[in-house]
Amino acid sequence: METIANDFTINIATANGTGSQSANLILLQSLFEMGVPVSGKNMFPSNISGLPTWYIVRLSDLGYQAPGNRTHIQVLLNPATWHEDLESLEPGSVVIWNENAKMEMTRDDVVSYPIPMSALARKINPKIAKLVTNIIYVGVLAEMLGIDQEQLESAVAKQFKGKASAIELNITALGLGRDYFKDNHTKSDPYVVEKRKIEKPQFFIEGNEAVALGCLFGGVQMLAWYPITPSSSLAEGIINYIPQLRTDDDGNTTCAVVQAEDELAAAGMVLGAGWAGGRGMTATSGPGISLMQEFIGLGYFAEIPSVFWDVNRVGPSTGLPTRTQQSDITMLYEGSHGDTQHIVLIPGTVEECFEFGWRAFDYAERFQTPIFGLSDLDLGMNRWACEGFEYPDQEMDRGKVVRDRDVFEAFEEFGRYLDVDGDGIPYRTLPGSGMDPILYRGTGHNSKGVYSEKPHDYYELMQRLKRKIEGARDILPAPLLREEAECEIGIIYLGSMENTIQEIDDILEATGIKVSQCRVRALPMHSEVENFISRHEVTIVLEINRDGQLYGILRKELPNHLITKVRSVAYSDGVPPRAGIYAERILETLKEEVE
Amino acid sequence: MSDTPKRPARAIKLNVLNEPKESYTGGKSSLCPGCGHDQISSVIINAAWENGIEPHRVAKMSGIGCSSKTPAYYLGQSHGFNTVHGRMPSVTTGAYTINKDLLYIGVSGDGDSASIGIGQLIHAIRRNMDMVYIIENNGVYGLTKGQYSATADIGSKKKKGAPNKTQPIDLCALAINLGCTFVARSFSGSKKQLGSLIKAAMSHKGFALIDVISPCVTFNNNDESMRSYGYVKENEITLHMTDYIPHFNPVEEIDVPEGHFRDITLHDGSTIRLETISAEHDPESPVAALTALHNAESDKKHVTGLLYFDNTKPSLAEDLGLVDMPLVDVPDSVLRPGKDMLDKINAALHI
Repeated sequence: METIANDFTINIATANGTGSQSANLILLQSLFEMGVPVSGKNMFPSNISGLPTWYIVRLSDLGYQAPGNRTHIQVLLNPATWHEDLESLEPGSVVIWNENAKMEMTRDDVVSYPIPMSALARKINPKIAKLVTNIIYVGVLAEMLGIDQEQLESAVAKQFKGKASAIELNITALGLGRDYFKDNHTKSDPYVVEKRKIEKPQFFIEGNEAVALGCLFGGVQMLAWYPITPSSSLAEGIINYIPQLRTDDDGNTTCAVVQAEDELAAAGMVLGAGWAGGRGMTATSGPGISLMQEFIGLGYFAEIPSVFWDVNRVGPSTGLPTRTQQSDITMLYEGSHGDTQHIVLIPGTVEECFEFGWRAFDYAERFQTPIFGLSDLDLGMNRWACEGFEYPDQEMDRGKVVRDRDVFEAFEEFGRYLDVDGDGIPYRTLPGSGMDPILYRGTGHNSKGVYSEKPHDYYELMQRLKRKIEGARDILPAPLLREEAECEIGIIYLGSMENTIQEIDDILEATGIKVSQCRVRALPMHSEVENFISRHEVTIVLEINRDGQLYGILRKELPNHLITKVRSVAYSDGVPPRAGIYAERILETLKEEVE
Repeated sequence: MSDTPKRPARAIKLNVLNEPKESYTGGKSSLCPGCGHDQISSVIINAAWENGIEPHRVAKMSGIGCSSKTPAYYLGQSHGFNTVHGRMPSVTTGAYTINKDLLYIGVSGDGDSASIGIGQLIHAIRRNMDMVYIIENNGVYGLTKGQYSATADIGSKKKKGAPNKTQPIDLCALAINLGCTFVARSFSGSKKQLGSLIKAAMSHKGFALIDVISPCVTFNNNDESMRSYGYVKENEITLHMTDYIPHFNPVEEIDVPEGHFRDITLHDGSTIRLETISAEHDPESPVAALTALHNAESDKKHVTGLLYFDNTKPSLAEDLGLVDMPLVDVPDSVLRPGKDMLDKINAALHI
């Protein structure tokens, strides 16, 4: 039989809260350490224990990181999803299943490897058999696929740092799984793992932890947060690193952390911190941003530096709290009532999560306005390969703050909202500094910050705010372009779609269609995005949502002659994007074009 | 001789900082003539001036409503933030984490504090954030033209409409139950008592709540209202006479009152002296304070004075474990860890 090396997807079906996550991470880590390009997606439920969970491991020498379009190896432990999982398999797939689950194997067109997982686990320790069952299937997979024992043991040691008894128990269990497969089954499937040379050493990290580190290197001084999936691990990442990075020898810190009573209060604290001259931030998800709208408008109108990270989950309403989507784009860009426009940073890799983590504060203070970081559950809570983070290449930008009397006196005229430099960005003084004060307000105000309902004052203020944010376009991170000469079709995409775009591109190319790519990394969009569109006959805006939100923004902002060149391909079902689905829709859209 | 500044014809009274009272005033009020809130503003001006507070060390905070407009009318040399409805506590919390050395004076109303912002008020109390929190409480919404608020007393009737039937929220009782470390009630018409309480609140470390009955002359000052000037004057029960003795004015130089009194030493070394009127109130007993509030409510009276005081609890700054220097003054080189730290983290992640 011909073998298939490093090009298949494993789907592991378990129940939430049974400890399968550590087993899955051991599998992922050991493959990673063998140099195999691999990605893991945790499809978990909004539940503490009992509901179905799937972990999808994709091995791909081509570097594809999406979950893949089909399952090649199914690990079956969960009776609740047993039949559904079995029925969805293509003929010839491999099924490793727990013989002790009291469930039947109902397919005769698959490669079936029954394993008495529960019985083997009980041999080790009946009291924790449920936990051990998970590591048994990792042993089985290791034997079946040819995963090095050395890498497995190293991954176990990493997972259970310093806990000798846990390490020993897991290694014994791995051995039992391996031996059972060896003694009772003859390999009759084509899938194998092959070691690859590691060109550049990498590590695995979640996007949320990368943002957390970025924020700490950005000098965050206050984190106010209210727990919400999938952003909690971002806030907790900051909390976990504070002792190492931001605490002095006496145990005192330069970063305050307040767990707020709700998202409204968290947003209020962020604005309070910015008003007082500090770097304040919060981390939340869509429902939290919905609650923060009132303060977002205040931050925009009173011009207060503030940073909000939104780890997007599936909406609307409570939605699917543990699934991923790019559906908060419009809400962030035009958040709060009245005319507003906000700066949004959109990382697509863990390296950018770190970079935008620190840059967000510089932009906030430079433009004196709320800055959003838009991540999503897929990027934020799954592990991604990273070569390492790069130290900020510029000093902290504290913006136009008047700190000295001499500087203050040098102004011909001082007004908190006076556009002295013509860039729409005024100068500010800080409470406690002794510089001239103002009473900040969310009501209409003139250039001195004094309450005003005069038509001229209001009109000029709104025009200046527009000018200020427009001025950010070409200062914010430029789009990443992968452009091929004489390409007629362009694809604009954003965020975590980065991990699927290459596979989509390859599928399209296999049908004879070559496309250029443009990844938008910030709103308002850089002028390069418009140039990209004008260089192509047709540009498709690819998004993980229903309505094509980025497409909507482009339609609003592009000149008329370019609007007709843009098409939307938007799709979302909660699962991280699978290349096949999007490629198919792109092809359909292009077909309509020809017709 | 020609360099000597001309002395004003009339000697201007200066405070301990050699500042005239004008340094503490603000803009012209746009509230209704006779509004209780304007009286409170003038008491705040006096208190800050007499206490010798540096105006630039004060942050004036407010929410939305008639009361929340008043920061424009006092302490014009202080920074301020007129935030959004009911959310002044959270904004103040954020500002406080960045600059814990400012004196935060929050002014709020009963709509702000007892309805839309009651959650934020509760949590600010729980955290024992250092601030003076004055509620200008008139039982009605003024800017929206006279709807009952959540503090309107049962049976009280405003100028228009039926008497209130809904159970009121007593913000002092609420605060005491939440462990608030300084709880007082006063009346905008009792300038001396209110002045002593505001000064004492400024000297307190922790959350100091002062609920001030401040009649709305336009919508709720009729005879059937339990928050009219006339009603409050006739039905006020004063717990004690209050005197504030600032730390720069040694207590031994003050005349000792003839009757019973009790001195409470405040965080900055100042003293609030509570002179017994009929029966002594123990301000360190939450039970005594709640009893006084409950009895007053049963009798349709308003009890005023320092209801409750506790100086044993750590304030938020202590709980946050911050460095001594206010965070706003910490240099960028300290805020951003060095490259060596990132190298260490990268290396640790690679293992």
